[in-house]
Amino acid sequence: MQRRTLLVLLLAAALAVPLAADAQKPIKVGMPMPLSGPPALFGEPAAKGAMMFVEEINARGGVLGRKLELITRDSKGDANEAVRQARELILKDNVDFLVGTLTSAEGPAVSVVAKENKVVFIAPIPKTDQLTAPDKLHPYVFRISANTTMEGRSAAEIVARWPVTRVATMSFDYAYGQDVTKAFVDHLKKIKPSVQIVDQQWPKLGEQDYNPFINAQMAKKPEAIFSSIWGGFFVTYSKQAKALGMFDAIKYNFIGVGEAGSPETTKSMGADYPVGIWGNSYDAFYASETQAHRDYTARLSKYLKDEYPSSWAIQGYMGMQFLAEAIKKANSTDSDKVAKALLGLTIDTPIGKQTIREKDHQANRGQLYGKTVKDPKYPFPIMKPVTYVDPTKFMD
Amino acid sequence: MPDPSFVFAQSVSGLTAAMFLFLIASGLSLIFGVLRVLNFAHGTFYMLGAYCAYQFMVWLEPGPGKFWLAALAAALVVATLGGVIERLLFRHLYGKEELYQLLFTYALVLILSDTARMIWGTQQKSVTRPPELTGAFTVFGATIPHYNLLILLLGPAIALGVWYVLQQTRVGRFIRAAALDRETLGALGVNVTALYTWVFVMASFLGGLGGALISPMRATVPGMDTEVIVEAFVVVVIGGLGSFWGTFLGALIYGQVLSFGILFFPRFSIFAVFALMAAVLIVRPWGLLGRPLK
Repeated sequence: MQRRTLLVLLLAAALAVPLAADAQKPIKVGMPMPLSGPPALFGEPAAKGAMMFVEEINARGGVLGRKLELITRDSKGDANEAVRQARELILKDNVDFLVGTLTSAEGPAVSVVAKENKVVFIAPIPKTDQLTAPDKLHPYVFRISANTTMEGRSAAEIVARWPVTRVATMSFDYAYGQDVTKAFVDHLKKIKPSVQIVDQQWPKLGEQDYNPFINAQMAKKPEAIFSSIWGGFFVTYSKQAKALGMFDAIKYNFIGVGEAGSPETTKSMGADYPVGIWGNSYDAFYASETQAHRDYTARLSKYLKDEYPSSWAIQGYMGMQFLAEAIKKANSTDSDKVAKALLGLTIDTPIGKQTIREKDHQANRGQLYGKTVKDPKYPFPIMKPVTYVDPTKFMD
Repeated sequence: MPDPSFVFAQSVSGLTAAMFLFLIASGLSLIFGVLRVLNFAHGTFYMLGAYCAYQFMVWLEPGPGKFWLAALAAALVVATLGGVIERLLFRHLYGKEELYQLLFTYALVLILSDTARMIWGTQQKSVTRPPELTGAFTVFGATIPHYNLLILLLGPAIALGVWYVLQQTRVGRFIRAAALDRETLGALGVNVTALYTWVFVMASFLGGLGGALISPMRATVPGMDTEVIVEAFVVVVIGGLGSFWGTFLGALIYGQVLSFGILFFPRFSIFAVFALMAAVLIVRPWGLLGRPLK
């Protein structure tokens, strides 16, 4: 008889579970993010940061009494793959929202999917201006990363202070590289008209051999170089540039946007890092000015089991935080209502207050800039002094 | 007219790129020439060489020659892995349709690169240049890092070494014979199975060594395998599939076209290389020094 009782109980449980779950149905968020290939260097920690936020908020009871559920998919850093994953997440997994993508090719492509399906899409990393340009903007797309105008102009402000006039640029030949370089050059010429752009090199995205580009550039005798070679590619580029004596030749008048100053980059290069150059980063575990940031860093360090935690996790974390706050404000998971709630929304993030502008759905996300130095406290260079450049004045 | 010292610097950097590519492409060409298999996973052996070099640099005690020891150990590990893969899996492919070969070697790429990701993660790894070669010297106004000079010398040295083995030794004669007619060679009492394994081991060694030697100049990251395999394919297609000196010539041409392409069409240098490949395929589909297939 016991067996029958057990069966009945099981049957009852099987029937009851979906009912109970329905009342407590989680809010599903889809995240297409590069988790393989070179862009995974940044994609993976960003996804982990998002996951940490989800676990933290669920531990506190979730949003509107419902848990958040994050479904992460590998977009491989490829626009077509990201689009395919985004569609599948919406149609098959029935996600309520999209937060994700990394490259400037993926972001605008997924934005189109979000528009078609009327699903809120928050982009935590892609920088190309085109994502939120007037002709591409629609009610459902939002960006919480910096954009190319903000980053290029911030770098131009720094270079304008250097005693140099002959400036060269080195960027990948695709949306991000072109846009950020144009913003840099235009703004630099405006604030320091004596500057001359003596050379511009455009290696293909993912180039492995920079020697010919560096030689060609050095032949034009620049006094300063702006680079937007990012991630693992910067490691390759700067190793080869160092071997060719490039940094010495320009007296370390070099600024690397695309997070050349991030702990990830300096950590992986160790003694090879061209100490003395300028770089930027979204976050720095060693530069806490507020208790909120210290707490976040400590939690992240524990979550990632890393003494020197990633600077990219914050982007995934903030993407989810914006979404959660907007759902609360809208008191609904309806994409139209959440999209409205996101307009002009200000939230308290680990790095301080952040606001999404109504005008172009762009957050006032600045970055940390600084000159890299050796610090006996860490086995790798850090940016010191490191300054958060507020981009508000650079936003058109 | 550009500055002569710049032209010189550009040709040297083209030459360095060529010698390095030759290290990778020679193994690819060797496997195709003898085993008649287009090994798509050859780039993955190169990547594993770079990762292993990094790992040995972590493990080994600091001391003179540490990097060279690490590079050699990495190449040996990759060569051993190559031998195991040939013995267990690869041999079932001989004589099969190209499609199966391609699918199999591509599957190998996915499996091996995911394994590498499990072991080393996605964070970029970096190997520091050996301290005795961190300097650079100046010739005709061009800066040449010592390390690049080493690669420049190593390329021809390895080419001559492999050529010597193939042309002047008994094993080499067997290998060349196997490339022409495997069955007759077997009928003459030569252990062709073992011979194939050794060829694969040698090619894997070259791939692994290439990866280890490039690690001080590049970031070691997931995905570096598929990037290099495309370049290596271009080199062997230009030079002639299976032709050893063709590969050498292909690498030289590739390096120079890329270097000087930047000078004349700054934004289309990569296009110049592929245009060259297309031209070669139209005029001489079997490559510059290859033999037409019967």
